[in-house]
Amino acid sequence: MNKQESSLFKDALIRLTTNKLSFFSLIYILLLVVVAIITPFIAPYDYAYQDLALGASAPSSDHLLGTDTLGRDLLTRMMYGSRISLMVGFLATSVALIIGVIWGTIAGFSGGKIDAIMMRIVDTLYGIPFIILIILLMVIFGRNLILLFLAIGAVEWLTMARIVRSQVLNLSKQEFILAAEAMGVSKLNIIFRHLIPNAMGPVIVYATLTVPQIMLLESFLSFLGLGVQPPLSSWGLLIRDGAVSMEEYWWLLIFPSLAFSLTLFSLNFIGDGLRDAIDPRTADN
Amino acid sequence: MLNLILQRLFTAIPVLLAVITVTFVMVHAAPGGPFDEDKAVSPEVMEKLNERYNLNAPLIEQYTDYLSGVLVGDFGPSFRYPSRTVSELIFTGLPITFELAIYSIIFALLLGIGTGIISALKKNTYLDYIPMTSAMVGICVPSIILGPLLTLIFGIWLEILPVSGWGDLSGDKILPTITLGTAYAAYCARLTRGGMLEVLNQDFIRTARAKGLSETRVVLVHALKGGLTPVIAFLGPAMAGLLAGSFVVETIFGIPGLGRFYVEAAFNRDYTMILGSSIFFSCLIIGLNLVSDLIAAAINPKLR
Amino acid sequence: MRNLLIISFLTLILGCTESIKPVDIAAENQILYIGNGTEPQDLDPHLVTGVPESKVLMALLEGLVIRNPDGPEPLPGVAKDWDISKDGKTYTFYLRDDALWSNGDYVTAYDFVYAWNRMLMPSLGSKYPDMLYDVVNAEEFNKGTIKDFSRVGVKALDSKTLKVSLKNPAPYFLELLCHYTTRPVHKETIESFGEMDTPGSQWTRPGNFIGNGPFTLDKWELNKVIIVKKNPSYWNSSVVQLNEIHFFPVDNASREDLMFRSGQLHVTSTVPPEKVESYQEKYPNNIQVDPFYGTYYYRFNTKKTPFDNKLVRQALSLALDRTLIVDKVTKGGQQEAFSFTPPDPDAYFPPTALEYNPDKAKDLLRQAGYEDGVDFPVVDLLYNTSEGHQKLAQAIQQMWKTSLNIDVTLTNTDWKVYLSRQSIGDFQIARAGWIGDYIDPKSFLDMMVTDRGNNQTGWSNKRYDNLLKEAANSTSQQQRFNKFYEAEKILMDEMPIIPIYTYTRIYMLHEDVKGWGNNILDSRPYQFVYLESN
Repeated sequence: MNKQESSLFKDALIRLTTNKLSFFSLIYILLLVVVAIITPFIAPYDYAYQDLALGASAPSSDHLLGTDTLGRDLLTRMMYGSRISLMVGFLATSVALIIGVIWGTIAGFSGGKIDAIMMRIVDTLYGIPFIILIILLMVIFGRNLILLFLAIGAVEWLTMARIVRSQVLNLSKQEFILAAEAMGVSKLNIIFRHLIPNAMGPVIVYATLTVPQIMLLESFLSFLGLGVQPPLSSWGLLIRDGAVSMEEYWWLLIFPSLAFSLTLFSLNFIGDGLRDAIDPRTADN
Repeated sequence: MLNLILQRLFTAIPVLLAVITVTFVMVHAAPGGPFDEDKAVSPEVMEKLNERYNLNAPLIEQYTDYLSGVLVGDFGPSFRYPSRTVSELIFTGLPITFELAIYSIIFALLLGIGTGIISALKKNTYLDYIPMTSAMVGICVPSIILGPLLTLIFGIWLEILPVSGWGDLSGDKILPTITLGTAYAAYCARLTRGGMLEVLNQDFIRTARAKGLSETRVVLVHALKGGLTPVIAFLGPAMAGLLAGSFVVETIFGIPGLGRFYVEAAFNRDYTMILGSSIFFSCLIIGLNLVSDLIAAAINPKLR
Repeated sequence: MRNLLIISFLTLILGCTESIKPVDIAAENQILYIGNGTEPQDLDPHLVTGVPESKVLMALLEGLVIRNPDGPEPLPGVAKDWDISKDGKTYTFYLRDDALWSNGDYVTAYDFVYAWNRMLMPSLGSKYPDMLYDVVNAEEFNKGTIKDFSRVGVKALDSKTLKVSLKNPAPYFLELLCHYTTRPVHKETIESFGEMDTPGSQWTRPGNFIGNGPFTLDKWELNKVIIVKKNPSYWNSSVVQLNEIHFFPVDNASREDLMFRSGQLHVTSTVPPEKVESYQEKYPNNIQVDPFYGTYYYRFNTKKTPFDNKLVRQALSLALDRTLIVDKVTKGGQQEAFSFTPPDPDAYFPPTALEYNPDKAKDLLRQAGYEDGVDFPVVDLLYNTSEGHQKLAQAIQQMWKTSLNIDVTLTNTDWKVYLSRQSIGDFQIARAGWIGDYIDPKSFLDMMVTDRGNNQTGWSNKRYDNLLKEAANSTSQQQRFNKFYEAEKILMDEMPIIPIYTYTRIYMLHEDVKGWGNNILDSRPYQFVYLESN
């Protein structure tokens, strides 16, 4: 069993790296994360440094990506912004993923009363219009970053749980699970060895969709003025500022949008690659 | 099925009670009151206002008063618009938001499912790559960029569509629908593709193919049922997301929908309006999830 | 499937390629489209406080006098003529015989007495009662110390003569009478939808609203549009050329800009700051930069260290390069402020006190015991969420850091939190802005008197308070202005507030709009506006 597992994982890794797009995406994301981490040491300027007399200037040799309306270096601000955006995206998704998968699997696999109660709880939470919740939270406790992604993560796990559950329900009626049950394999074993890996396809697809969704949600909050506290910035905030003046200062919209979209692209391609790679059934082909 | 409906309606009560309580507590905990204005209001006037809107009473009393009002369908007067009641505001905004959401979801489903099926069938060809890449563009471009961009192109440069309004000028519903629906179309496309690929690999499809059924029949009759399961699971939340997320699009295009009222109410500390619309959104979301579950159960009997 | 969709989508778009610019056909129908900021809360002149409301009420109700679109002197409104007594304390208004309500009733002096009574009733809860506090006993009645309204100094001598007695000479009194809070309301209408002092009743709805202005309320769709139509029973309706005005609530500057450029609006309420520069080249005939009677400033909490020290406040002011701010940050043609009251070249000219002098700033900070910013606590700057405030706050944060080595953190909160934190004194420095309600230094300087609601700095100065009292009792305008000048000098030396710039009103105006006029309070009677295609 162990041996088979590791070769499956190796296979998956090989398949992932042979998919060129996914491979490059992975490299891009890794690079981005590394740059985000070492930004304070390599950023060309201080993120708050202003050159008011310069104002908004197009890309030049001094400022590779130009400057914003306060004469701050856009590249620097994007590098610092990436820290915030990536952190919000990944941490909130992890929160959502962990809670959602565990919750959905247990509910789907247990069935009956436990399932009913667990899904009622999900429904209850669904019924709470979360945008107002987040707005109220931000208003009451100020712009707190940790609170922000906890709140988003705590909301996003609901859909994850539903998808996992419906997937598990589908799977648990299938022959190989029934067979495993009949053979007396323990429930935990079934959940972790069979159900979760087999339910992973749509979950990973959804998780890769969740990261951009959360990054987008952050940009909506920025749109409402509830984003991070200046002079810090996030990509969402930069894009929002850029969108306002896109006719005058195109670089303020184009570069942050490109970085943002490229990141979301890459995350999605990685998700796709992973999906194909870990799906045992595509392995058969 | 009737059982499911009754059960859901029954559990809706504690859900709504929880929503009211949580919102009530948060609203009253929020700093700043509904009557704070730029021009400082004298303490006497403030006292009068608080008295008029029952804000001087102990919180518990305000809470029970509010609940007993809701029970008889009285959501109170709006604090922000003194001559209007909350019900009036909600019924002004709700149909518009609902219309916008419906158009967007139809747009998303048509575009998304169609694209998703083609991509799944033509896996790893250009008919897969191009639509899927476009879908990702759709997901990756937030409405706060897409909206202004579309208005700039179609409203200012080409001058063929109005940039603002809802139902006033011909064609003013097109841009908001596209802006709101695009991301959801992209999700639908991806989920459809994922679901279809899953199903197309399963034994019963292979059997059907082996039996010599036409590919169209295999795809549209046999595979689509299972393949759409993720899309349908996504539908309820998507609709809820559309409703709650419509405020951005409503703000960009100046649409007088409930989403905008809702967010404005939070900023204005319009307590009764926040509570009232929370209740309405909750009801809608509960209802939509129920409908989505019913459809899922109808399509896929295993889920019953 | 996909092709089908694309095709149907294209036909849909091509199907509506005909011109859809409302302003193109507006001149023919004389319909004016106005971008009007946020949605009006109500249309009761005695209850509302906002600018958008004031614009709509300008069309619906007319006071004793009306604002002159082109100059400072008010024009006759419902009053065709008036006498002012020698001591400046008694005003007698003679109402015109043909002034009518939109239902055909005559507008009488009793209507004004009724309206002012209603406005001052403590139980109504009007937020602007101080507009009439110059009237004898008005304040006492509003505060509840006098119960009998007949003791207040406003009397109808007969149905067409109104006598107003003031407790002190108020040269700006006619200015006040242009304000919507002093306009008449129709008694029967109000009382058929509630009591005299019922706020928020249905009388302000279309169909119910009876006004005496050049226009009547036709339609009010929340967050969508307010439509007013020409009022045929208005006494001066022969000069009114517009048939309709559509007020659109547009609180988003970018959207308003797009609406203007796609021909959905004639007039906007603002221009996005980042566009001002390029529009001066692109649309030189449309962009309007009018002087505006308002000041943007920062207030200190003088109850908290280190701002209880005058030297610190002065140092922070001296470290601001206001020229750089208006040229590079706000960029909307604003003027750097050199005092609190905006200059009015025709009348009061404030002392020119503010300067940019970083060396002197450093020196003052040293004298205050914080040489080079050492030991200076990290202070917090509070502002409400908005692009413009944010940009300016960041620029100022930087200026204080570079010239004084002072660390400032920025706190942006939503509007309500911002207001409540200032009113309870929970801030160190806060952004503020003030637009005069009428053109007179009093509308600015009175605010800084000890414990006034909008003072909010904790600052109090006996001599300042006395000078304002003396100004109120002055017999000549020159004497008044001298007192104000002296008071303002104290204010600018003590610096509980640091003025930053004088507002401008920047907006877009379509070429077809004529008779718009120029007015530093930005209020224009619509009866003189018309549309004419070039």
